[in-house]
Amino acid sequence: MLPDELKVKLREVIAAAESPREKAIDVMFEIQELQGWMSDQAMVEAAELLGMTPLELEELATFYDYIYRSPVGKYVIKVCDSTVCWLEGRRRVVDYIASRLAIPMGGTSADGLFTLLPVCCIGYCDRAPAMVINKRVFGNLTPEKIDRILSQLAKNADFSGSE
Amino acid sequence: MPDYPRVLFKNRKPDRVATLDEYRESGGYQALEKFIGGAISPKEVIRLVSEAGLLGRGGAGFPSGMKWGAVADSSPFPRYLVANADEMEPGTFKDRVLLHADPHCVIEGMILAAYSFSATKAFFFVRPSYESSARILERELENARKAGFLGDRILGTDFSFDIVVHRSGGRYICGEASALLNAIMGKRPNPVKPPPYPTEKGLWGKPTVVNNVETLANVPHILRNGPEWFKSLSAVSHGTGTKIYGISGKVRRPGAVELPMGTKLSEIIDVHCEGMAPGSTFKACLPGGASTRFMTAERYDIPMDFESLKKIGNRLGTAAIMVFDHKTCLVGATLNLMEFFARESCGWCTPCREGLIYMRDLLWRIENGEGKEEYIPNLRMLCKEVWNSYCALAPGAAEPVISLLDFFEDEVRQHISEKGCPFHATADH
Amino acid sequence: MPRLIIDEREIEVPEGTKVIDAAQRLGIVIPRFCYHEALGSVGACRMCAVKFLQGPFKGVQMSCMVDARDGMVVSTTDEEAVQFRQRVIELLMMNHPLDCPVCDEGGQCLLQDETVSGGHARRRFPGPKRTYRDQYLGPYIKHEMNRCIHCYRCSRFYQEFCGYRDLGPLQIGSRMYFGRFSDGPLESPFSGNLVDICPTGVYTDKTARFKLRRWDLQRAPSVCNQCSLGCATVANGHYRGVMRIEARFNRDVNGYFLCDAGRFGFSYANGGQGRRERPLLPRIAGVSASAPSALASAREALENISQKYGPRAIAAAGSNRSSLESQAMLALICKTRDWRGPVFFFDPSERGKTVAAVQELSSDIAVSMREIEKADLVIVAGADPLNEAPMCALAIRQAARKNAPIVTIDSRPLFLPCEFTHFPVAPEKIEHYLAMLVWKAVEKVAENPGKDAEMFCRQLGALSLESAPPEAMAAFSELLLASKRPVIICGTDVTRESTPSFAAGCARLLKCAQKEAGLFFLLPGAGSFGSALLSGTQSQTFGDLVEDIEKGVVRALVVSECDPFHYYPDHARLERAVSKLEQLIAIDYFPSETVERASIFYPASTVFETGSTYINQEGRLRFAQPVHCGGAPISPGEHPPRVYSGLVPGGDHLPAWKALCQIASMPREDGVPAPEKFIPSVLPAFSGLGAGPIYPVDGPRLLSPGPGFTSQWSQRGEEAGEGAPDFELLLVEWMFGTSEFAAWSDSLDAAVCEPHMSINTKDAARAGLSDGDRVSVELDGGAFEIAVSVSERTAEKVLVVPRHQLLDWQKIKGFPVRILAGKIRKI
Repeated sequence: MLPDELKVKLREVIAAAESPREKAIDVMFEIQELQGWMSDQAMVEAAELLGMTPLELEELATFYDYIYRSPVGKYVIKVCDSTVCWLEGRRRVVDYIASRLAIPMGGTSADGLFTLLPVCCIGYCDRAPAMVINKRVFGNLTPEKIDRILSQLAKNADFSGSE
Repeated sequence: MPDYPRVLFKNRKPDRVATLDEYRESGGYQALEKFIGGAISPKEVIRLVSEAGLLGRGGAGFPSGMKWGAVADSSPFPRYLVANADEMEPGTFKDRVLLHADPHCVIEGMILAAYSFSATKAFFFVRPSYESSARILERELENARKAGFLGDRILGTDFSFDIVVHRSGGRYICGEASALLNAIMGKRPNPVKPPPYPTEKGLWGKPTVVNNVETLANVPHILRNGPEWFKSLSAVSHGTGTKIYGISGKVRRPGAVELPMGTKLSEIIDVHCEGMAPGSTFKACLPGGASTRFMTAERYDIPMDFESLKKIGNRLGTAAIMVFDHKTCLVGATLNLMEFFARESCGWCTPCREGLIYMRDLLWRIENGEGKEEYIPNLRMLCKEVWNSYCALAPGAAEPVISLLDFFEDEVRQHISEKGCPFHATADH
Repeated sequence: MPRLIIDEREIEVPEGTKVIDAAQRLGIVIPRFCYHEALGSVGACRMCAVKFLQGPFKGVQMSCMVDARDGMVVSTTDEEAVQFRQRVIELLMMNHPLDCPVCDEGGQCLLQDETVSGGHARRRFPGPKRTYRDQYLGPYIKHEMNRCIHCYRCSRFYQEFCGYRDLGPLQIGSRMYFGRFSDGPLESPFSGNLVDICPTGVYTDKTARFKLRRWDLQRAPSVCNQCSLGCATVANGHYRGVMRIEARFNRDVNGYFLCDAGRFGFSYANGGQGRRERPLLPRIAGVSASAPSALASAREALENISQKYGPRAIAAAGSNRSSLESQAMLALICKTRDWRGPVFFFDPSERGKTVAAVQELSSDIAVSMREIEKADLVIVAGADPLNEAPMCALAIRQAARKNAPIVTIDSRPLFLPCEFTHFPVAPEKIEHYLAMLVWKAVEKVAENPGKDAEMFCRQLGALSLESAPPEAMAAFSELLLASKRPVIICGTDVTRESTPSFAAGCARLLKCAQKEAGLFFLLPGAGSFGSALLSGTQSQTFGDLVEDIEKGVVRALVVSECDPFHYYPDHARLERAVSKLEQLIAIDYFPSETVERASIFYPASTVFETGSTYINQEGRLRFAQPVHCGGAPISPGEHPPRVYSGLVPGGDHLPAWKALCQIASMPREDGVPAPEKFIPSVLPAFSGLGAGPIYPVDGPRLLSPGPGFTSQWSQRGEEAGEGAPDFELLLVEWMFGTSEFAAWSDSLDAAVCEPHMSINTKDAARAGLSDGDRVSVELDGGAFEIAVSVSERTAEKVLVVPRHQLLDWQKIKGFPVRILAGKIRKI
């Protein structure tokens, strides 16, 4: 069940739109912010708030890259796998993170903190190789930098912020 | 380094976003105060921008004035403007740099564009990995609102207009204008073929104009300094204005630089990127993003503008220059691009949904030692056939493949005959 | 009108015609998957590529996306276009499983046809095939996503065309999936069309799964007889059973589609288990007999009664589900043999309304469903399209999709799969509301509309003023005033006897007001129009026969395709009456209670075994061809049949009318009289149709040019005033569970829901009832128990109850039914 405060907030978000459906992504992002992913239950409740059927919301949820319909870790590490990052060694970045967290691509670490996923070009080609963790971008990745980021995230469970 | 006038990057700071005050000090919002105050009619805005020859910076290069002018006087209200900051094509990041440099330049451009066809609301369409840009925008939009540049009765005139940030769920196809409109309306972002054009029936059936961020950023400067000035910025006579080139890959200093339209590729790389990366020799580049054709060293001196690239059968696209060196396997690079396009196909039409998977599979086999001679003609045919797709995604995806086969067929054949990638030992990837 | 050249042949087509349709007019069927005339063009599959040689476009383009224009020269056979189409097939076959041998679509699969005709035989693509997990979509539709070619027809049909929101496109790119949010039955009662519309075997008919191969089927154009619309179908027979019903295109009636009740409600023809076993053998006094002996003893028995008591001691009853042939034969027999009847109706009010509707409907105002789709405003007055005539609801939706406002005035809590505004009003107020809605548009009718029109208009004006209109009404009055093609849809189920005439008057007045106004009635059954025509002058109903039996003046009753025990409102009284009869002769295909009690029973053939004619509710002739000879179906265990025999048990059935002809010893010229001869003798309107073995082709409308304004409406009865009982009980139809077909078709069981009684929120509060409560409703003939459904959308002062097979409503004793609040007890 979605918490009541969140529902109040979501209703406000929806009320500001030209039509409720416009806010479908925002609503799902808000829910993911709190719960990490869109469970079936969350889908049903979100759809109701948006005046959509669960199927109609699912049509959107399964289309987009940043909506998760399976459980993910607290931090979703998406390593760019497009051309420039590929050129600049994204393979090594993925291998390094995978071995450090002991998870394969697509896996979630045992402590439930990290999920490792590929992502298409994130628009930081000037800082390749790059990755995005919960919408925050990290570029010019080196093993040392990755170590720093991951240990800080692990320490600081209450993470949010922007570049 | 040659000293070119900086227009869009005038207020760019190495470490932070330019503030509203800084933008105003540099002459910002003057155009707005002057024109919306009644000195100039909406039609005049369109005339000036058309005269300046501003071409859309999102990739297609469509004349912006003409797009605004396509909203008929008699068409219904409300009318909408959309700033497309989706920028999801591999290699493209210029709009992010621009938004992080001087957001008000874009905001003022949006207000003026909206004024030209009486739009009352705009959506700033932002991709998820640009969350930081979205937050900057939300902050600066509020500042602009407080200063009276946005909201009801802007600067005391009859013109009311506001901008909201719309966050995307993240998909390349959302950058396509009609798909983007579906995305904003909370529908599946499949492209829709005109007619009707968005300028006639866009968001919720109302007239809507979709412009690229960089395009919009040019507008205040054109209105402030005049069309002649704008034309004079270009390095080539058939071009206008400046261009933000986003250079990435094997150069010493990748990044976004604002240069006269038509600056030569050689100058861009050698001067503004300080040359190739250490130990790298130029092999090829994609001149305008992932959906343009590989350009070889033969074209190293080409002026980088719409016309010049069109002449050689290529496209300026988004002017995102991806540079590959002699150690790069271009079969691998093309495979990587195809992985992207195949994954990002929206699934609407057959040639794109299945054809790109097909091409990806053949390229993968060539790269991984399972290639066969017959794959080459098959790939060529597929490149031709995906041109009959519903939208431009698949034809764009075919561009690198076509040029790979045109310019680097030997490299492809080497993969097949050697049953594997000859670059494996030397490459980074 | 653009002129263009396609494959060197010139054609002129209306503005806006797509090239794919222009080619079809020349007989050139360009391959397609996503394009469907009813759904329009979306350019998704890219299969209809052709080459444009001259004109505004050049090169390979999709023929479904391009409007025909002057000067176009198009080639469908150009090498480049052909090669591209072959590639599209290759791309689609990359992932399509080669499970054609076990696929129910095999043999009628568009993908299969195009693959074969395109010459694709060898898979070049070296990669693996993708696979999906299928979903459970309910009892009727099997999901098989691996076969999907992503043409989007299903989701476009389901969501856009039908307006249901639980099946759609999911995922992206090559992972695209068409399905539901989670496993579960499809909500749309039009889901069966997915089987027809899917160009391959993603959606197949579960009721026919693994039972047949298309090329083995006996197929014939048939007509759905489950409601009054008479939708065109194709019936498929195999091994003496009806295996499957498909929609058949009919431009004016159902278009391309069919509702699930019509599609899946055929299994009565095959019979079911236990009490649903179809009676295939004739019976005399409960003992099986041969057909000739049963017919002979019926004839003798009737002759005896006629000699003993006179021919008027024999009464005949038919029903609204009988074919026109049977109805006409009954009428002819009664005329020539001087039997009593025939009666076709059980409720006198229903008889009155149906007859009035049939008399009022004239060719100047009658519209087809196709014309409803084009209406710019639709008024539904006293009708429940989705339940009474489901395909009509789809037609209304098509009008709504083109922005036509939809207004409903009814006592039931209506649902339509589109945007509509509902005014819940008691039956006696329906005319008043209709008057309020229409008045503004007709108050200044064109000059010289005639005396009758003026009089009707004055009465309408007065009626519109009886009470102040509700707030929401004003906007619709304005819209109606501005409309050009309004349509009034009126029903006969809950309306007052005067309402059909009133609705017709309104439509005529709108016509006088320079509108292309249309009128569309919903009638109780497939045979209603015929019943009304044949019982037009005599006002008898079955209740009169019961009295005659009780008085002893009727000694024998012949019922043809009719089960009085299903419809007569007083079961106990009917039981007593029947026991007094000397002969009850039943001719039917249902194992009904009447058949059980018959002294002589003759098993009639069904519509699938007999050519049958119906006249649908717009007066249109609908002819169903026989599909197979019928008889005891071969059960799955005997598949394939090992013994073929010339003697098929139950395979020699006569249609009811032929059996009637024999038991009444009707004179015949040579062998059996032909319908084209005897129908005109009782229905003169048929004489102009000419003779022939299948005289009415698919479609002409038998309507008079227009009687003008009738005075019927002003003869309406007085309404119960003050001191009337608290509630009127309205017995209504549901799409599933109320018809005789549903009662005897096990294939429909899965769609039948528990019955519930709808009551208005205020009434419920007064009675202390809330949603979901169970109540006992005490009727004159006993009580029944039912769940309560509370809604603001139900009119006040009515109780809406379905004539449900799980509810013994035949305790109401008589029509109409009024109930005091105290008779409803919560349990």
